[in-house]
Amino acid sequence: MGIVVTGVGVVSALGVGVERNLASLREGASGISAHPTLLKTSHHLPVGELALSNEELHELLGISPREHLSRTALLGILAVREALKGIDMSNPARVGLVSSTSVGGMDLTEHFFEEFIENEGAGRLRDVRMHDCAASTDAIAHYCGIKGYTTTLSTACSSAANAVITGAKLLKHNIVDIVVVGGSDALSAFTLNGFKSLMILDENPCRPFDEMRAGLNLGEGAGYIVLQREEEATNYICRLGGYANRNDAHHQTASSAEGNGAYMAMADAIAMAGIEPSAVDYINAHGTGTPNNDASESAAFVRLFGESVPPFSSTKGYTGHTLAAAGGIEAVFSVLAIKHSYRYANHNFSEPIVAYNLKPVTQFEEGAEVKCVLSNSFGFGGNCSSILFTR
Amino acid sequence: MEQLIQELKEHLIEELNLEEITPADIDAEAPLFGEGLGLDSIDALEIILILEKYYGVKLANSAEAKPVFYSVKTLAEYISANRK
Amino acid sequence: MRCFIERVVTNHDVTTDIKALIPDAGLRRRMSRVIKSAVSTAMETLGGVEGIASLDGIITATGWGCLADSERFLRNVIVDKEQLLNPTPFIQSTFNTVGGQIALLGHNHCYNVTYVNRSHSFEDALLDAMMRAEDGDSEHMLLGAFDEETPSQHRIMERMGAFRKVECGEGAMFAIVGAKRNERSIAEVTTLAFPTESLTRERVAELYATSEHARVIYNGYAEHGLFPTASALCFAEAVKLVADGTPEVVIYNEYFGATPTVIVVRCLA
Repeated sequence: MGIVVTGVGVVSALGVGVERNLASLREGASGISAHPTLLKTSHHLPVGELALSNEELHELLGISPREHLSRTALLGILAVREALKGIDMSNPARVGLVSSTSVGGMDLTEHFFEEFIENEGAGRLRDVRMHDCAASTDAIAHYCGIKGYTTTLSTACSSAANAVITGAKLLKHNIVDIVVVGGSDALSAFTLNGFKSLMILDENPCRPFDEMRAGLNLGEGAGYIVLQREEEATNYICRLGGYANRNDAHHQTASSAEGNGAYMAMADAIAMAGIEPSAVDYINAHGTGTPNNDASESAAFVRLFGESVPPFSSTKGYTGHTLAAAGGIEAVFSVLAIKHSYRYANHNFSEPIVAYNLKPVTQFEEGAEVKCVLSNSFGFGGNCSSILFTR
Repeated sequence: MEQLIQELKEHLIEELNLEEITPADIDAEAPLFGEGLGLDSIDALEIILILEKYYGVKLANSAEAKPVFYSVKTLAEYISANRK
Repeated sequence: MRCFIERVVTNHDVTTDIKALIPDAGLRRRMSRVIKSAVSTAMETLGGVEGIASLDGIITATGWGCLADSERFLRNVIVDKEQLLNPTPFIQSTFNTVGGQIALLGHNHCYNVTYVNRSHSFEDALLDAMMRAEDGDSEHMLLGAFDEETPSQHRIMERMGAFRKVECGEGAMFAIVGAKRNERSIAEVTTLAFPTESLTRERVAELYATSEHARVIYNGYAEHGLFPTASALCFAEAVKLVADGTPEVVIYNEYFGATPTVIVVRCLA
C-alpha cells in the first residue's frame, strides 16, 4: 500500500510558513543570528531563533496568552495548522498525530526551577504544567482539531523522522486515515548549555561538510507533514517511498567513523522503496557541522553511493540544528524539493573534508528534475533514521 | 608533584564516578584512555572541567589536549607548568 | 493484530548482581538510578548482554524520562550560572538513553525507538511492537517501560495535588515479544484498544473478555503507585497470571483524566 504526503507546515528561524522558509532558502539568507535575543542566557553564541516571543506567538495563533502554552507547543501548533490547511478532515474522520520533541516544555520549566531551587514552595505551577513531552502533543491536537489517535516519541535529534515512520505504520494498519507527523523543539538554556558542555557548538555560523567545520548552532522550530493512504488521497505532493530506523551502537553521543548506523538506515530506506541508490536525486543530509557527524555521514555516503554520491546539502546552516524538529523541518524541505524540483544550498561551505572530498550543493538549484529525495536524521543514543520521498 | 598527582587521582575518581578504584590503583604513568583506566571522549570533557575548576588551567583544543591527557603524570606536569 | 510474549520481568524481579548484568563499567558508572534500574531489568529479561544480539527491535516507553539527570543538569545550569558544566547528566537525560544503552551494550543495530506519551507511553510502545509483528519485521523484540520518582518531582506533583488518592510510584518492566509463537512463548496479546470514553468494570468484561474465567485488572496501576508507565506493571502481572493458568486477563487503565486503554492477555491455545 502506498503512503502519500498531502500537506506540509514549517516554522523555523527562517520564519513562519512554507513560503517564508522557501524564500529565504532561495535567497541564501540564513536565519542564524549572532546570539539569542529572546532566550535568557549569558552565552554569546549563534543560534537559529524565531524572532517572535511567546506572547506574540499566542497572539498570532489567536490563543489567549493566559493559556500560557510552552514554546514547543506554540511552534508545533503553527506548523500543524499550516500542514492541515486544505486537508478535508471531515470524512474519513480518523485524524491522528505523531509528534516528537526532545525538551518538551523546558522553556517554561527553566523559569520555574530558578525559583524552586531557592524555595520548594515557590515557582508558578503553570510553568511546569507543560514540562512533559506529551503536553505539547495534546495542545497541538486540541488547537488543530485532531481527535484521533495521538502519540509522542523522543529519540533525540532523529525524533521527527521516527514520527514519520510510526505515522506510516498507523496508516498501513488502518488505525488512522490521515496522520500528521513531525516534531517541535524550542530553544532552551538547558539544550544550549548541554551542547556547550559537550564542546560541539561553533562560536561562528556553522559550516556543515566543510573541512574547517567546528560544531553546530542550535535552532528552534517545528516541521510536520500530512500522510494518507494513496488510494484515499484525491491529490498529493509526493510519495513516502521508504524509511528505516537503525542504531549506530557505537557511543552514547558520537557517531562511528564508518557511519554504520547512517549507512544501514539509508540503505534500508532505499531498499524498501525498491529503487537503486543511483535513483536518489538529492540528499538532505543530517549535516550538523560537528567534526564527528559530518565525517561519519560522509563515510556512509561513500560506502553506499561509491564514486557517485548524489547532490547533497545540509540546510542546518539556515535553520540551525532544531533537534527533535530537524527531521520534520527537513522532511518538509525534502517534500518541497520534489514538488518544485529544488536542491538547497549548503550555507557557509568552502573546502571539502579532505578525507572524503565531497562537495555539497552550494547554490540554490531549480529546474533539473528532482524525483527522489533522501532525508537523514541522526541522534544521541545511536539513533539513525532515513526517510525517502519519491515523485 | 607527588601531592598534585595524588590530588588529581582523587578528583578523577570523584568526578568520573570510577567504581571501586582507589588512588593507589591508578598508575600515574599508565594511559588514561583506551587501555589503562579505559576512559573515553566524555571523560575527556570532564577532565577539561577538572583542570579548569580546580587549577584554573584552560585547555583550548583537542590537538593540544592529546599528549597532555596521556596519563595522570602528564596532566600533573601540564597543570604545574600552567597553573596561576 | 497480536503478538506473543516470551518473558516479562519487572524491577522487583531482578536478582542478578548489576555488575553481571551490565558488565561495561564505563557505561555503568555514568548511569543514574532509573537507567540502572531499567537497563538491569532489560538484561535480566534477556539473560544478560549476550541476549541483546538476537533482538530485532528495541521499543521503550517512559512518561517522565531520565528525570534525575535532567534535574541535575538544569540545577547546575542555574547554580553555576552556565559555567563549567559537567556534560554527563545532559547526555544521559535524553528520553532514549535506556534504549540507546541497550543497543550499545549489545552492539545491536536494530530498530530502536522511545515513546514518551504520558500514561499511554507503554500502550503506544506495545502498539508499535504489534504493528511490527504483523508486518513480519520482528520476531524477537524487547519492549520495556520505566519511570523514576525524584524528590523535586514529588514535591512539584504534590503541590499540584496529584497524590491525594494514590501515592507516587516508580518502576521498570521489560518483556520479550514477537510475531510468532515459539517454544518459549507463555502468553499472547490479542487486543490493544483505546476506548474514547470511561468504562465500568462490568462493561470492560462485557466488551473485551472472551472467557468466562477471565480476570479484569481494573485501574490496577494504582497499586503500583502513580507514575505514567504503571500500566506496564499491570501488564507484567497479567502475563504472569496467564502463565500460571488464568485463561485471560483484561487490563483496563484510566489514568488521571487521560482516555482509557485496554490490553487483553490470553493463554496459548
